[in-house]
Amino acid sequence: MILQTPLIAQLVSDAERLQHQYEFLSYGLTAAWVILVVYVLMMVARERKLKREIASLRAMLEEKKGSSPNRGATYDSP
Amino acid sequence: MREKILYVLGIAALAILAWNINGIARLPEETQQGVTFKIIFFHVPMWAAAMTAACAALLASVGFLVTKNFRFDAAAVAVTEVGLAFTTVGLVTGSIWGREIWGIWWTWDARLTSALVCWLLYAGYLMLRKAIEEPTQRATFAAVFSIFAFLDVPIVVFSIKWWRTQHPAPVFWAGGSFPPDWTKHLMWNMLAMLLLGIVMVAVRLRQEEAQREIDSLRRTAHAL
Repeated sequence: MILQTPLIAQLVSDAERLQHQYEFLSYGLTAAWVILVVYVLMMVARERKLKREIASLRAMLEEKKGSSPNRGATYDSP
Repeated sequence: MREKILYVLGIAALAILAWNINGIARLPEETQQGVTFKIIFFHVPMWAAAMTAACAALLASVGFLVTKNFRFDAAAVAVTEVGLAFTTVGLVTGSIWGREIWGIWWTWDARLTSALVCWLLYAGYLMLRKAIEEPTQRATFAAVFSIFAFLDVPIVVFSIKWWRTQHPAPVFWAGGSFPPDWTKHLMWNMLAMLLLGIVMVAVRLRQEEAQREIDSLRRTAHAL
């Protein structure tokens, strides 16, 4: 019993140390992936916004070309 | 075709990472730092990818100043932005690792300070681009600033050789030791991060092209 007590204490201390180390390892890995995922999501959002903007500009241009009175006119230099 | 290549590269990067993480988890504990040391398998590849991006940004910026071709400017902004994301991860993982091993989140030693300055410079580059409207002026100023920002990169890399720092000396090229099977896992992660970086840069580059198309459509709309 007397011999077992320091051994148990040592085991508990090792387990605590290991748990602490795993905790920091998981913080590091989580931070790394969260930052990268947030960046990728920002890129996806920007991509969608750009596509929407291109589509709306193209639609606007088509509309303007369709309604323009000078449609098909050429520019004559003086 | 380009889309397909990007998908293949992205899937390859994620597959390498998934397979490699499994291998890293099976590695034994490091004698002094225990399992926390395994942060190195992400911290170092992130910095390697970030420094590669900085080199690419330098080349693209010089390319723009020499040729005045806007494709170089687009490449410079794409690699700088992706590189900044990797630098952020490198700084954060390093800080968490430092908290466990040194007992502090941050210290103003040469390596950490130059790394933070590097982050600030490249963040400044992106802010500078937002502040200038005229495209040619924006690209020229940004290219010159990017070349100036790159001056910090050799300081970041070699600071641990040049000065005594809290950050450990280099493991790979200053007499440090790293077991071959650990090196293998580190190299695989570096490859995965570089592939991931290439995919992100390609997507970002496509966005720059889309932005140019928007600018051109706007000009056409104004002319009508």
